[in-house]
Amino acid sequence: MRKMIKLFRLVFLTIFTVFLISCTKNNDINNTSRKNISLILRTSYGYHWGTIKMGAYAAAREFNVDIDYTSPYDEDDVNEQINLVNQAIEKKVDALILGVSDYEALSESIERAYKQGIPVIVVDSEVDTEKVNSCILTNNYEAGKKAGDVLADIIGKEGKVGIINYDKEDRNAQLREEGLISAIKKYPEVKVAAKEYCFSDMKQAYNLAKKMLSENPDIDAIVALNEVASEGVAQAVDEMKLKGSVKVMAFNSTFQEIDYMDKGIIQATIVQNPFNMGYLSVKYALDSIEKKEIDKRIYIDSRVIYRDNMYLPENQKLLFPFIK
Amino acid sequence: MSQRLFKYLKNSFMGIINSFRIKSIQFIITVSFMFITTLAMVFVGTTIYNRISNLAEQNAFINTRQIIDQVNLNLDYYLRSMLETSNYLDNIIYYNESIPNEKLTEQMNVVLNSRKDIVTLAVFSSEGELVAGVPPFKVKNTVDITEQDWFKVPLQEPANLFFSSPHVQNLFEGQHNWVVSLSRQVTFNKDGKKVKGVLLVDMNFNVIDQLCQKVSLGKRGYIYIIDSKGNIVYHPQQQLINIGLKRENIEEVLEHVFGRYIDNFGGEERLVTIQTVNYSRWRIVGIAYMDEIVGIKKDIGNYVLWISALGMLIVISISAFISAKISKPIKQLEKSMKLVEEGQFDINIDVKGEAEVAQLSKTFNLMVTRIRQLMKQIVHEQEAKRISEINALQAQINPHFLYNTLDSIVWMAEHEKSEDVITMVTALAKLFRISISRGKNIITVREELEHAKNYLVIQKKRYKNKFEFEIEAQGEVLDLKTPKLILQPIIENAIYHGIEYMVDKGFIKVSVSIADGKLLYQVMDNGLGMEPEVLNNLLINEPKSKKGSGVGVKNVHERIQLYFGREYGLQIESELEEGTNVKIWLPIVRDENPEGLLHEKNDKAV
Repeated sequence: MRKMIKLFRLVFLTIFTVFLISCTKNNDINNTSRKNISLILRTSYGYHWGTIKMGAYAAAREFNVDIDYTSPYDEDDVNEQINLVNQAIEKKVDALILGVSDYEALSESIERAYKQGIPVIVVDSEVDTEKVNSCILTNNYEAGKKAGDVLADIIGKEGKVGIINYDKEDRNAQLREEGLISAIKKYPEVKVAAKEYCFSDMKQAYNLAKKMLSENPDIDAIVALNEVASEGVAQAVDEMKLKGSVKVMAFNSTFQEIDYMDKGIIQATIVQNPFNMGYLSVKYALDSIEKKEIDKRIYIDSRVIYRDNMYLPENQKLLFPFIK
Repeated sequence: MSQRLFKYLKNSFMGIINSFRIKSIQFIITVSFMFITTLAMVFVGTTIYNRISNLAEQNAFINTRQIIDQVNLNLDYYLRSMLETSNYLDNIIYYNESIPNEKLTEQMNVVLNSRKDIVTLAVFSSEGELVAGVPPFKVKNTVDITEQDWFKVPLQEPANLFFSSPHVQNLFEGQHNWVVSLSRQVTFNKDGKKVKGVLLVDMNFNVIDQLCQKVSLGKRGYIYIIDSKGNIVYHPQQQLINIGLKRENIEEVLEHVFGRYIDNFGGEERLVTIQTVNYSRWRIVGIAYMDEIVGIKKDIGNYVLWISALGMLIVISISAFISAKISKPIKQLEKSMKLVEEGQFDINIDVKGEAEVAQLSKTFNLMVTRIRQLMKQIVHEQEAKRISEINALQAQINPHFLYNTLDSIVWMAEHEKSEDVITMVTALAKLFRISISRGKNIITVREELEHAKNYLVIQKKRYKNKFEFEIEAQGEVLDLKTPKLILQPIIENAIYHGIEYMVDKGFIKVSVSIADGKLLYQVMDNGLGMEPEVLNNLLINEPKSKKGSGVGVKNVHERIQLYFGREYGLQIESELEEGTNVKIWLPIVRDENPEGLLHEKNDKAV
């Protein structure tokens, strides 16, 4: 009889333990099921990257995931970014979203993450490796082409144009320029009078534009291929009182640019959709974690906004994504 | 109906049990418990699950509703304060002597500074000209105010207030704020005349945005706001909607002013809760994802399942324990009964277990004890009966022998052989004295030998000295105890079968000694001897001839064995033409209370 009681106690204890274990295990599952995605961008500053970040956070909220955001202190500090990526790999995050500072330098780290089974999504610009799950980019070539078409339109399909690009080495800059040139070539009456690189320095852009305008007084329009270049060019045209006679085709939509649009100095601008990029990067990172098939390359459309239609409700929302 | 169901259940249940062909109590109890528990657990589990999950669902609904009501309250407060501001300004403007003047601008500035959420206050004439405004922004010359809704509508409908959707205010140079505009018709004095105009109050949209952004319904749920035409006023994922990555089912929402429904949009079930804000006719739409609510239900379901399983395990182990506890003493009882069946009666069960089983064991013990007693009694009765028969037989010796002896004495008297008559009668007298010996069955060896001697004396006379005899005894054996009249039948047998038909003179020797720790009588003759088969039958079958005393050798043998056990008794060696030697083994009994005393007492009792 005593043996029976012993046996009974043993059985009871076993059941109780199993029960407790099952309870705690349930909790564990709830905690660990929340995915942690590391978002490492080129920089925290500026309209473009800020909006990408915002889009990523919007997606994180919708899909119920955690985002671990970092970026190098200095936009061009490639080594710092490599460090951040390596740290994220060591932390064994569930996925990695990268806005790279350099086309080649990060390839090695990215390949390491890929080897360890961490999905890598690259946003905004490409990298020199195929070992990424997806690239989400503005179709810069297309954007350039659109800019070319609009430019030709503005000047009535004939005249001289100047180009101020922001970087010789940057892949996006190259693509934009290639797109632009290919569009301009369709219009035999449109000639490229000058081409300069401002290296993302507004002062430089301003000076280059001034120089270009004084050297080529017959220029009908200048196209600037990023926001810094656009602001510089607009400032130069404004100060030289060439409003109306020299049209400006801009990229992106900073407040400065919008002011210049209000003033009528900038005629049209190509607006990218960085929010969309950020949002989709998180969405596709999740899909990759779940081993769903996704496209290797996803292009986000850019849009042309003219001075006349900038206050239409749908364009307002594109031009002023931040609520102040 | 329920009876039929019960019968069906019972039948199927019994069917299952029968199919197992195990009908042990333990099995039946365990299975019954299991069956009942499972039924109970399933019933209780589903009831609890339904109740709790309903409650959880209701709670989720109520929570959503409360959150949305809260948002509504805040928005209401916010819009009302705007309205009050505009009322106040309307009043000031109406009673102002001439506009524009410094006083009005100052008063407007006070209002603007007291409210951080007001971006712009401005009064426009009916031609669209800025009459007064704070802060003093420059109106863009590119904008045609008269074409804008907030300006047109109040002039057309003077009684109504106009709430715009959130938009970027593009009236002033260098200003691109997201605002909600409230506009109304006002009347003011200009050049001594009352003229119509429009008052514009721009509120920072940021306030609404922050008000709504903090709200979350569950993990992924959110709220959004649409105006009466279905334009989205606020949406946490405004940008996604702008670029068409996300859509809301606005058509269906527009059909409701208040309430909630569940829709299936974008492949997901969502709980949509709608509330309409006063003044602006905006609608607050709360979206909660059903899978989160259902997730709670699932959690509850899992929990109930676990509890049920645990309860079932516990009940099953308890039932196994109880049934084992009940059936174990029964099994023990069964084992004991089997032993009894095999003939072991010296069994006593430990009385344990439940009252019924204890009672059963007790009764069983009583029964076995009674059987044991009865068996003993039967054995004793049988033995006693045997002994009494023997005693009776013993008594029979006397008349038969007596006639023959008396015949011989008569014959001797007729032939005047008085010496012989004296010898015979003396011997006969001694013989009977010992034979009767006051009813005692146990006598001394001395007396037994005396009895044998007298018998031999009488027989020798009767057979006309056809044989000689000798009695030999060691002195130490004479006082030992012995059953009486055991030598006489042996001697009788020796005479009738050994000596009587002999040609030569016979010889009988009777001796007593102690051998191998036993008392040994030996009766030896030199007579004809016996054939082996006769010898073998001698101790097993009754002799067929009734010659002699009638008390056979076998009787003596049985008597000794009855008294003293199987290791004692007769042992006969015989050889044809050589003679026979009968050995009688007896225990050595010295005092008056030998083993045989019990038998003696029983003899007396019978």
